[in-house]
Amino acid sequence: MDAAEQVHLKFLDALEKGALRRRSNLGLKDVGLVPERAAALLHSQMLSRQLDRLSRKLQARGEGFYTIGSSGHEGNAVLAEALRTDDIAFLHYRDAAFQIHRAHRVPGETPAWDMLLSFAASAEDPISGGRHKVLGSKRLMIPPQTSTIASHVPKAVGTAFAIGIARRMGFDEAVLAKDGVVLCSFGDASANHSTAVGAINTACWAAFQRTPMPIVFLCEDNGIGISTRTPPGWIEANWQGRAGLEYIACDGSDLVDSYRAASEAVEIARRHRKPVFLHMKTVRLYGHAGNDIQLAYLAKAQIEADEARDPLLASAALLIEEGVMTAVDVRAAYDGIEADLLRQVELAIKRPKLPDAAAVMASIVPPRREGVARPLADAAARAALFADDADAMKKPQHMAKLLSWALADLLLQYPGAIVCGEDVGPKGGVYAATQKLHARFGSARVINTLLDEQAILGLAIGAAHNGLLPIPEIQFLAYVHNAEDQIRGEAATLSFFSNGQFTNPMVVRIAGLPYQKGFGGHFHNDNSLAVFRDIPGVVLAVPSNGRDAVAMLRECVRLAHEEQRVVVFVEPIALYMTRDLHEPGDGLWASVYQAPGQGAIAFGEVGVSGEGTDLAIVTYGNGFYLSLQAQKLLAESGVGVRVIDLRWLGPMNDDAVMAAVAPCARVLVVDECRVTGGPNEGLVALLAERAPDKAIARMAATDSFIPLARAATHTLPSRDGIVAKVLEMVRG
Amino acid sequence: MARERILVVCPGRGTYNAPELGYLARHHGGSEWLARFDALRGAKGALTALDGAAAFDPKVHLRGDVAAPLIHASAFLDFLSLDRERFEVVAVTGNSMGWYTALACAGAVSGEHGFAIADAMGVNSQGHEPGGQAVLVLAGEDWTVDPALDRAVRAAMAWHGVLPSIELGGMLVVAGAEAAMDALERDLPALPRAPLRLAGHGPFHTLLMQASSDAARAQLPAEWFGRPEIPLIDGRGKVWRRFETDPVALWDYTFGHQILAPYDFSAAIRVGVREFAPDRVVLTGPGETLGGAIAQVLVALKWLDISSRQRFTARQGEDPFLIGMGRPVQRKIVIR
Repeated sequence: MDAAEQVHLKFLDALEKGALRRRSNLGLKDVGLVPERAAALLHSQMLSRQLDRLSRKLQARGEGFYTIGSSGHEGNAVLAEALRTDDIAFLHYRDAAFQIHRAHRVPGETPAWDMLLSFAASAEDPISGGRHKVLGSKRLMIPPQTSTIASHVPKAVGTAFAIGIARRMGFDEAVLAKDGVVLCSFGDASANHSTAVGAINTACWAAFQRTPMPIVFLCEDNGIGISTRTPPGWIEANWQGRAGLEYIACDGSDLVDSYRAASEAVEIARRHRKPVFLHMKTVRLYGHAGNDIQLAYLAKAQIEADEARDPLLASAALLIEEGVMTAVDVRAAYDGIEADLLRQVELAIKRPKLPDAAAVMASIVPPRREGVARPLADAAARAALFADDADAMKKPQHMAKLLSWALADLLLQYPGAIVCGEDVGPKGGVYAATQKLHARFGSARVINTLLDEQAILGLAIGAAHNGLLPIPEIQFLAYVHNAEDQIRGEAATLSFFSNGQFTNPMVVRIAGLPYQKGFGGHFHNDNSLAVFRDIPGVVLAVPSNGRDAVAMLRECVRLAHEEQRVVVFVEPIALYMTRDLHEPGDGLWASVYQAPGQGAIAFGEVGVSGEGTDLAIVTYGNGFYLSLQAQKLLAESGVGVRVIDLRWLGPMNDDAVMAAVAPCARVLVVDECRVTGGPNEGLVALLAERAPDKAIARMAATDSFIPLARAATHTLPSRDGIVAKVLEMVRG
Repeated sequence: MARERILVVCPGRGTYNAPELGYLARHHGGSEWLARFDALRGAKGALTALDGAAAFDPKVHLRGDVAAPLIHASAFLDFLSLDRERFEVVAVTGNSMGWYTALACAGAVSGEHGFAIADAMGVNSQGHEPGGQAVLVLAGEDWTVDPALDRAVRAAMAWHGVLPSIELGGMLVVAGAEAAMDALERDLPALPRAPLRLAGHGPFHTLLMQASSDAARAQLPAEWFGRPEIPLIDGRGKVWRRFETDPVALWDYTFGHQILAPYDFSAAIRVGVREFAPDRVVLTGPGETLGGAIAQVLVALKWLDISSRQRFTARQGEDPFLIGMGRPVQRKIVIR
């Protein structure tokens, strides 16, 4: 017999025979739970259970597509009772009972119907629009979670942190209440994932120094991750006694004990703004998912022992013994839920599905927000802000200095903007791009983080969830790779999986790319943008010079603020301090700072230098700089070249590129990233498809890592290499 | 054979008009309940006499203290006429004062107390700040609502200080002071039909009804309230289930939020059809005007592929999904 049906029959049998057993002698009055609320909790638990049973039947019919259930974890409903309905919740995928119970507390919700639409992948599924079976609800303040293990923990921590900073900033457009609490739940196996470990460590690090961190980490410990047992006692041994972290344990099968612990945890998080690790011992009934046969790796006795801890058995026993309901009442309610669901599901599976690719993709790019454009700061405020830089601002400056001023102007113009990252505070960043921001805007808006890129990006996502406009900095491009999933799996997918309802706009600044002469080696010269090229919806910008960098950064912040985009802004380290182009002292790579409103560069607008028609060089970043040097030498040889600075690498403005190369019969793509995976791949494919008559060549970095010292540029395109290649193409 | 699942909807004010005169006599003549209700009315005038008047007199029959008990009695007795052997009532809801009837149908209050509440509220609801109600028809001929029109109307309401009173499918009932309503009507975008002022109605479901709420709390005790036997769906779309219902909370909602805040009948119907998936929706009498609002909610939800007025009409012809007990032909389908 199907394991789910077996558990179901055991419940009915125990009800019939009066063989239900409560888990403790704790009574409703002991924890201040009134009978009606206990009955409501049981209803939520039973609805969650019946939905699990139904999901398996639907899958067998080919009408349902996801069977990871919540059975055995229904104790998590107590968190929905203990928390307020406006407390944001980042949920474990076994938390259907939580969502159902929160919905029960908000009038007008239709939790069963909504869940069935989700099972059926209907386009009317109110959270994902048929894109995934996720728990989530805009109205219930539950952002959707996919199944990347523990990947939601960093942003939950970031959100808790952002409640505090919004309060310190006096930011009046915050989404979450000043005394809000964040719930973040996950399983015992996920608690071992580096993402969870790192994120909880971040919360501890902050709380240890008395930074507000109002979050409840709900670890639902069912003792097993798919087929791998969690060592008995591991969770408590590992998480008890951590610096800055309160630890509370409870029996998730015992409604009363769970409610006691949940109430205590929420109280600590709300009143004292401290992180709490709520260890809820649960059971996983009938395997990991629909196709998982537990008997393959668990002894029958173990399975039976787990089934004896079924929370429904204990909740029903509690309510019957307390005189709230009779066994007959419980059975009638349980059957009534099933009867309702059996009718609902036949209607739900007929609701429309996503009809085509356009419908699927409709929410990749978030909806544009109307009427939110920020006015430019007034002159007096700017004059006061830049009083000690007034003289310097009249002179040409390098990119790092210009960026630091652009950031200051942006923080002035956008009251919700924050800057965060390693060493961005008083030090002003390792390349001084955040210089003076801390002194000018304070530690609530210019935040020195701990050394963990997942934490930085998690903070950014969390801050965005609270209505702030985060501008996180990743110190080096190579460092983003260990935290890639926070962009790829989390930030970039949020609009997609929430049908555009939840968004996390941000501008991630990253110092990167090769050619730097100082601090060497691969990890400070990483020349790979591949990680950003294939993420749908993410904007990737790479400026080549200070003037463009200022204009593009402003456009990026506008894209985030008005169009809710996730933007990655990669700043070429080698060009941060560069002032000269052709010869020492020419000052051609420095520029005078342009005030906001001047010299705008629109998203997708390419830069074109020169009017030569012998050949077009298509490039960006350092490649643009080197190509301009080559352009001069080529001109001296009588070859007229135009150099196109892409500026916006993702999504590429194909039409603008084709228009820019149109006058030339030859095109050379110069790419400082590797030949494999670099932007050159897409460019050459574009040119080959759209302009097959043109002569097309590329010059890209070899498929190598970057070595140290003078060898650092051996694998990269060079000025002289570009000259030689152009001459070869033009003269044959 | 399994019983058909029905969602029962009780109508509010404005449903006992000239055609309904004699409704109680026609359908419930001789009912013991009518005698009890008449006794409860005492000197205020017997319902049977009012129902049996020679002619419909708007000045009498549309007055709150008369209309409310007439409507309540008609609806409640219609509910009792349902053939429960063939039909399982899976949930009950109501519109506006129909909420009081729904309370009685669901068993949250006794039949007598339900009548006493409706009767008292018919009088009580006349105590309010100056103002009234008007119906704005937003839905076009096909019963769908243009979102731009909806936004424009609500913007104009906000501008003139007119409040939403009842979300009624493709209609919006608004309430406010007379001057504000006059100003709004002059400033409204073109509507499919001209706004209709509701004679004898106060600014129901707004804070202007505070006196009515206070009086209700003083007159109508929480002890009358119990737990519903059948799930009740209120004017926010909240479901009150038996064991989860705190009778005092139900009383508090009934004489607090329900009187003082907008009544979202559309939400009640949406929750009713989605969470209970009824085979049919049964609108008790008297009258049948609320059927249009119910149908408009179904159209908005594209429920059972009812995506337009034409589709609704076609569906009704074959095997009516919406049964109006005020329609003799449809009434026969559901009564004993």
